[in-house]
Amino acid sequence: MTMTKINKRYFFAFVFLSVGTILCLVGSVLIGSTKIPLAEAVRSLFGNGDYSDILWKIRIPRALSALLLGGALSLSGYLLQTFFHNPIAGPFVLGVSSGAKLTVALAMIFMYRLVRSLNSAAMVLAAFVGAMLSLGFVLLVSRKMKRMSMLVVCGIMIGYICSAITDFVVTFAQDADIVNLHDWSKGTFSGRTMNDVLVILIIVLVGVVGTVLISKPMGAYMLGEGYAESVGVNLRFLKVALVTLSGLLSACVTAFAGPVSFVGIAVPHIVRLMFGTSRPAVMIPACFLAGSVFCMVCDVIARTALSPTELSISTVTAVFGAPVVIAVILRRKKGEL
Amino acid sequence: MSVFVEVCNLSAGYGKKDVISDVNFTVSEGEILTLIGPNGGGKSTVLKAVTGFLPKRGEVKFLGQELEKIPRRELSKILSVMLTERVRPDLMTCRDVVSAGRYPYTGMMGVLSENDREIVEDSIKIVEAENFADADFNSISDGQRQRILLARAICQQPEILVLDEPTSYLDIRHKIVFFEILEKLAAERKIAVILSLHELDFAEKISAKTVCVRDGKIVLSGTPDEVFTRENIRDLYGISEMLYGKYFD
Repeated sequence: MTMTKINKRYFFAFVFLSVGTILCLVGSVLIGSTKIPLAEAVRSLFGNGDYSDILWKIRIPRALSALLLGGALSLSGYLLQTFFHNPIAGPFVLGVSSGAKLTVALAMIFMYRLVRSLNSAAMVLAAFVGAMLSLGFVLLVSRKMKRMSMLVVCGIMIGYICSAITDFVVTFAQDADIVNLHDWSKGTFSGRTMNDVLVILIIVLVGVVGTVLISKPMGAYMLGEGYAESVGVNLRFLKVALVTLSGLLSACVTAFAGPVSFVGIAVPHIVRLMFGTSRPAVMIPACFLAGSVFCMVCDVIARTALSPTELSISTVTAVFGAPVVIAVILRRKKGEL
Repeated sequence: MSVFVEVCNLSAGYGKKDVISDVNFTVSEGEILTLIGPNGGGKSTVLKAVTGFLPKRGEVKFLGQELEKIPRRELSKILSVMLTERVRPDLMTCRDVVSAGRYPYTGMMGVLSENDREIVEDSIKIVEAENFADADFNSISDGQRQRILLARAICQQPEILVLDEPTSYLDIRHKIVFFEILEKLAAERKIAVILSLHELDFAEKISAKTVCVRDGKIVLSGTPDEVFTRENIRDLYGISEMLYGKYFD
């Protein structure tokens, strides 16, 4: 029967993604300005090898950040695409990342002046507020405007406005305020500690579990709001949950890695092609894994391509992600966006 | 015969203004009620208000219970609808769309049981869609889509079925098949069916009751024998005697 054929496809795609995730994780720990041989790495991990410090303080937190945040970003994009019934929605194009970036920059500067430090929880909170503000604005526009392409244009404009304000603030901030602000505002997975990774893990876990819990109504929502409501979906709750979870996930990414472009849009599409379905039960884990792989690969490229100079992560994700988006737009027939 | 649907002094609209008012009718188990009338006359609005999609005044009772007092989950096991809303889901097969009708019966994660699957296959068979059940829902014709959406509604195993112009894209054979299915559902499963129709010839044949809606009001209702007279139809749709004669005599 056909069911078994489909199950086989899912099985192989998931095996591919899982193996890919593990390989990329190992690879991104070993590859860098200092190449670490696998045997050395294992010795350093479990005992006192020469690379202990590099591994625990730099490589592992960075690889784990890319894994968790990449997955979060891709999932956030998938949630927004579901919400808007729009294939080119994502946290970056809808201005959500830029909104989060603005509030984090503001928080960094002002909080730093007040208390000389800013812990990661406060960063995430600031990012969440910014993400939800941008999203709220996009939602307001979407009530007036049914055309999806216009919605995306509006999101991009919000993004530019937020970026402009951020640049303005950064320009006038004192140097001491913005030690890390400059790198961060371009997007990078570097500079994270194991403590940060723990915070990331908790937030991402909350986001993923929440998403899994609403996977059933999400499936019904794909047939349109009327049909969703008619089978007993609590539409208002579902919409709030979709937006909040998406905002939380992309806020977490922006707080720790800055704005990362195109992952949220492109990865869910690659996943749809791989699996040939849009069933949430399949899409949620698959999007997460694929986002992880995508970001870890891009991160390795970012730090090795022009080594010792490091590229910003968005430079690399855009190179791979933007063509995917163009392909998606071309594949869809006229008038559907 | 017990009354499944009771509509009493129903008024509803989209803003502050009422689009429909003073709507009254009842449908008993196993009965088919058709709504006919000109475009923009309020048929869809009546159906939306009856199924709870629009804020309304007046009373709607399903199986003797007030609509507002039936929990969402329970309601979706009693009532299923087929809307005119255009559905364009990404990468869903027809079988996926039909399966969506099992939503009220599946657990937390929406996994279909063996029994659910059987009901899905059954519903596909009823609308004769076995040949294209695995096709992408977006790749089939409008008529085939209407059959799949009917299967989705059947799959929900309702006691009341509400359909808004369900046959507009069907060719004549599939219209006949469609109405045969509705009559069978009404006769065998005792489902109460409410639908709006433009095909008057079919409406006359299948309905137990017909309600004529124009300008947001029920202008006439009764059995097909009472409703489908030359006079009534001409009045309802505003057709002159000359034109009526030219096309229907």
